Amino acid sequence: MASIPTALPTKIGEASIWKSRHVWLGSQNLAWNCRRLRWHFVIRSSNGNSSDSSKNPLVPVEKNLRESCQGSFGSLKATVHVLLPVVTSVRTRFCSKFAMMVYVTFAIFIIIARKIMLKRENHVNQGSIADLVRRGQLKSNRRGIAKTSLYDNPFNNAFVKIDEENSTAQMFGKVYRLAPTTLTKEQQLTHQERRAQAYQWKRPKVFLKEGDPIPPDVDPDLVRWIPPNHPFASTSSDINEESFKNNVYQKDGVPFRVRAEHEALQKKLEALQDEPKIKELAVNLKNPEEFEEPKLQQIELNETKKADEKIDKGLKSSNEKS
Amino acid sequence: MPSLVLPTAYFSTKLSHRHHSTIPSATHSRRPHLAGDPPRTVVITSGKGGVGKTTATANLSASLARLGFRVTSIDADAGLRNLDLLLGLENRIHYTASEVFSGECRLDQALVRDRRFNNLRLLCLSKPRSKLPLSFGSKTITYLVDALKTLEPLNPVQFILIDCPAGVDAGFVTAIAPADEAILVTTPDITALRDADRVAGLLECDGIKDIKIIVNRVRADLVRGEDMMSPLDVQEMLGLPLLGAIPEDAEVIRSTNRGSPLVLNDPPAPAGIAFEQAAWRLVEGDTMTAVALEEADRPAKKGFGWFSFFGL
Repeated sequence: MASIPTALPTKIGEASIWKSRHVWLGSQNLAWNCRRLRWHFVIRSSNGNSSDSSKNPLVPVEKNLRESCQGSFGSLKATVHVLLPVVTSVRTRFCSKFAMMVYVTFAIFIIIARKIMLKRENHVNQGSIADLVRRGQLKSNRRGIAKTSLYDNPFNNAFVKIDEENSTAQMFGKVYRLAPTTLTKEQQLTHQERRAQAYQWKRPKVFLKEGDPIPPDVDPDLVRWIPPNHPFASTSSDINEESFKNNVYQKDGVPFRVRAEHEALQKKLEALQDEPKIKELAVNLKNPEEFEEPKLQQIELNETKKADEKIDKGLKSSNEKS
Repeated sequence: MPSLVLPTAYFSTKLSHRHHSTIPSATHSRRPHLAGDPPRTVVITSGKGGVGKTTATANLSASLARLGFRVTSIDADAGLRNLDLLLGLENRIHYTASEVFSGECRLDQALVRDRRFNNLRLLCLSKPRSKLPLSFGSKTITYLVDALKTLEPLNPVQFILIDCPAGVDAGFVTAIAPADEAILVTTPDITALRDADRVAGLLECDGIKDIKIIVNRVRADLVRGEDMMSPLDVQEMLGLPLLGAIPEDAEVIRSTNRGSPLVLNDPPAPAGIAFEQAAWRLVEGDTMTAVALEEADRPAKKGFGWFSFFGL
């Protein structure tokens, strides 16, 4: 007898459903907060037999929608059809179609404006991990260059305004009270004396590896001991102080080590070329025949000649055996 | 507070700026008057790690360069260098000072020029996996700074900023060797302050008397609730003049990710402007004479509340 709700709309008109007040929403007034809205459908349904319907126009059967809905498709369809009366009710409540359109347009406008504002804010406040990716720290090595902001005075600009009369500073829309510093020169000197008494220190002049003997002309207080396994500092160096100084002050020309390496390689090459065997092995660039490739045809001819000779030898040996 | 002389004192930089003739630059139509004899060699140190030495160095360097001064930044943190990352120059470092020492390249080849500012250069002391040769003690970096000063006689460098490694180890001793003045970066907590006081003592023993402090990561809300020391408290504890007070700002992390110093942010960030103010004071040899302590109460705005929906 009781039909499934999917058959409902064919038999029951939208207006009749709404007017019968058997289809109702959880609250009589539509709540705009969807989280609180709990749909509780009670519907009127009838069986699909048309002959019965002519006799008995509608047999109201009230059933809970959740119980009656078995498939998800069915529930969806029912929900859609149930919502249609809601729309009609809204239409009836709002007298003017024009007003409704204005409201909808205004809502859309607000949503779009908010989206634009948020997008702009996100665009301005860059600095996320995506920037690290962009910088090549994570994946690629692409990196941008920031725009520079220009204003003349950091003490007086659009973001920082000072009210000298009230001793306040307005910074980024917030007003701060200014308090004067009270440090005097005498206080500074007192603190300096305190620290001078507390910290007796001489800057180390010499860095030595732990275990090395102290040179005779060096004050032991001026030695900084570097452990042999120090992660960042090393006391060993393959250059003397004079060449070290020259390297630092060199303004043009080939750097010392690059020149030294180049000269060493050149000497080595010259030494190798002096030996006779190396001379024989070395390619003479003046003679083009030496580095010309043999022609392919000649190679093929030689190969065919060799093959023919082999065949001839084979035939001769077979004849001799026979 | 009518008795306060602080507004004029606070803006002593601004007022002094009016008296000096300004030199127009390509980036700024106004810039501070350079005090002292250039080139000025400034070491940025702290003692404690993680207080913002490298961030301060990067931002001061960029700010000075934007003001039109010729700046060379040296990352003296041989083992744990990061200044190249903050300046966004990490992919362009092929030679370091270590190669200059050994004669593999010249000094001008080891200098990395910033593409944003032609007058900003970076020099790293050594590659991350190599060791810095300290055979000649403090002369190692003293020669280097001396050579930088005379590298270009026509366009001599005006500021050499040295990013010092944390601690008071060999790296610290090496980094402070060529410096004439020091900036002590600290956070308003007791651990950083104790280390800063020790480092200030060592610097003074070494003959560096011109020491200024930058108090980093100040939170006005905590200061107001007396949960954090104010920059004035820090100054009272250390007895050193204030160069700047930098507010805590999430933009610092973003700028690090971007590889662009905070002072170049557009629109500017509060911490970026504070760094710019510090750079301005550094140039003019000035110090802070008033501190923006806490947020003052002010009446709420009437109307336009609806626009808060857009975050305006």
